Amino acid sequence: MRKVFAFMLVALVALTGLYANGGSESTSADSDTYKIGFIGPLTGDNANYGIRCSNATNLAVSEINAAGGIDGKMLEVISENSLGTVDGAIAAYEKLVYSDGVVGIIGPVFTSPALAVAQRCYEDGIVMISPSATHKDVTSLGDYVYRTVPSDALQSEVAAHYMYEVLGYRNIACLYAMNDYSQGLATGVEEVFTELGGTVSAMETCMVGDKDFRTQLGAIRNTDAEAIYIPNYTVEDALILEQAAQLGMNLPFFSSDGFSDPEIYNLAPDYTDGVMYVGPAQAEASTVLADFTAAYSAAYDGDMPDSFATNAYDATYILAQAIDRADSGDREAINEQVKATSDFSGANGIINFADNGDMIASQGVYDVDGTTPVYVGSFQIVDGSIIQVD
Amino acid sequence: MDTLIQYLQYLVNGLTLGAIYSLIALGYTMVYGILKFINFAHGDILMVGAYTGLLTYTALLGESTNGAWMLCAFFIAMLVSMAFCAVLGMFIERVAYKPLRSASRLAPLLSAIGVSFILSNGAAWIFGAQSRRFPYPFDDSPIMIGGISITPHQILTLCVSLVMMVVLTLFVNRTRMGKAMRATSLDQPTSELMGIDVNKIISMTFAIGSALAAVGGILASFDFRVYASMGTMTGLKAFVAAVIGGIGNIQGAMIGGVLLGILESIGAPLLGIPSALKDTIAFAALIIILLVKPDGILGKNEREKV
Repeated sequence: MRKVFAFMLVALVALTGLYANGGSESTSADSDTYKIGFIGPLTGDNANYGIRCSNATNLAVSEINAAGGIDGKMLEVISENSLGTVDGAIAAYEKLVYSDGVVGIIGPVFTSPALAVAQRCYEDGIVMISPSATHKDVTSLGDYVYRTVPSDALQSEVAAHYMYEVLGYRNIACLYAMNDYSQGLATGVEEVFTELGGTVSAMETCMVGDKDFRTQLGAIRNTDAEAIYIPNYTVEDALILEQAAQLGMNLPFFSSDGFSDPEIYNLAPDYTDGVMYVGPAQAEASTVLADFTAAYSAAYDGDMPDSFATNAYDATYILAQAIDRADSGDREAINEQVKATSDFSGANGIINFADNGDMIASQGVYDVDGTTPVYVGSFQIVDGSIIQVD
Repeated sequence: MDTLIQYLQYLVNGLTLGAIYSLIALGYTMVYGILKFINFAHGDILMVGAYTGLLTYTALLGESTNGAWMLCAFFIAMLVSMAFCAVLGMFIERVAYKPLRSASRLAPLLSAIGVSFILSNGAAWIFGAQSRRFPYPFDDSPIMIGGISITPHQILTLCVSLVMMVVLTLFVNRTRMGKAMRATSLDQPTSELMGIDVNKIISMTFAIGSALAAVGGILASFDFRVYASMGTMTGLKAFVAAVIGGIGNIQGAMIGGVLLGILESIGAPLLGIPSALKDTIAFAALIIILLVKPDGILGKNEREKV
């Protein structure tokens, strides 16, 4: 009995400590700065992604501060190194949220850390905007978690709708590698295509690094599939296309943004004609993007931002504008204002968020003519059907 | 399309894949037969062979699109690559294995792994990490025979492998050098006493094995592309083929290679298992065969002589 009591006492003390700690942060934000946290890999193999995103976040903040800050208050970025790992990201999160008292987080950069931090943000009620985590589950919790990069789910939705509605296929087969990227897209397409009323008559698998796909293709040849969906990286896709031709198959192929790597035309130049794929939408060249690229390059010794850095830049502005509208460091109010973001005009064009925090975005569809991808247009899924945006 | 045709198609594919494994497996098995040592750098020799073939072929071809010259250039490139790899194989043996011949049995094995890393990392450094295509020296559109497709490069693979294996069998069984090889493999000290130059025989074994690996590498690059680490998985599978057939036995390596190729191609659909697991099936088959017949299909169950 005494032990139980002692335990409860300890727990109570710990909880009060946590509460007091958390409570004090909201008030600290009422001083003369708003603190924003950044979580990403700043050292290690993938530091290039983290450093560019961190740079872009800092650039956005220094621009905002140079223009007078938010109602006279300055923004401050605290960048923490996630090492690209879940443990590192959680440690960074705890420092930023419990000790530094940030009002929102930009990051984490990679999917696995983003999934872990998203859970904590949801529990603690603090906004996180990831510039680069594309796995569809990142925003599955529903609140406080946003991203300025299109979800993988969107890509497979557009692919399934395009094949069913525009190309009129009713029966397809998938041939995909067993990794997060390919498997996520293939199962996504299977789900949506089946919901639409189509049949997926084969879900054939391979391993990354496999070289012989004739067994899988032979099995697909034996089905009634009208087309084959191949959401893989270029090396696998190139061999699949070539070996399908060698098996005398002339089914049309549909692929994913992995196909947008021009290396495919070196590896399988004779077999790419007629392949269609979903890839990045071609945004109209905006002056915001040009200005950002120039400012970034000037600020960081001629280094050029990648697309994730561009997303981080937009994410920082979205967060800053939300703080401005909330007019306080209150995390709940900031969340409401991020959610209310409407037609934000950033470096990546116009950004709105869906109910789950995903960016509403269009995807491009490409049709390969010989070895030249031809842009068909940008597409969005609105109310369960596909529409061409431009 | 009915199931029979589908399975015949798997058989054709498995056979061509298996022919390549056989060619490479021969190198493992011949070296093992004589030195009782697994040359783990053998897989990387096939990669060197593929690069040498590719570079020679593209250099010979230049801008030409003459059909006859393309085929001619391809065979010249294959011979150049065989010669280069034969010399490389002998050189590696001389430098990395011979000095360790009297050391513990682990020493040459580790030396072989070292050579393997040097070759594959060296190639990655020289040629980069990207894979390259080996252009077909002919029009590779498939020939359809009753619903089964076979491509000219598959026919080429089968023919070249068959010729190589027949020539090798004749060489080993009908020539004096071949006889000396067999003798060395049976009993090295006695062969030496009989006046056989064992060092020469060992050098020759490495040369022949490496030349066959070069051919295997070039044929494999049609299907697998050419890249620095291409020897790793292909080499491992060929090694498995050699063990399945009975390591040290030349006919065993040929049978083992073809069997592995067919198992890989047919195993997954036959058992209704996801195709991603086809390598798993091939390796599981290896375990089963070894459990039933520990010396491989044609392996000799030699008793220790008293």
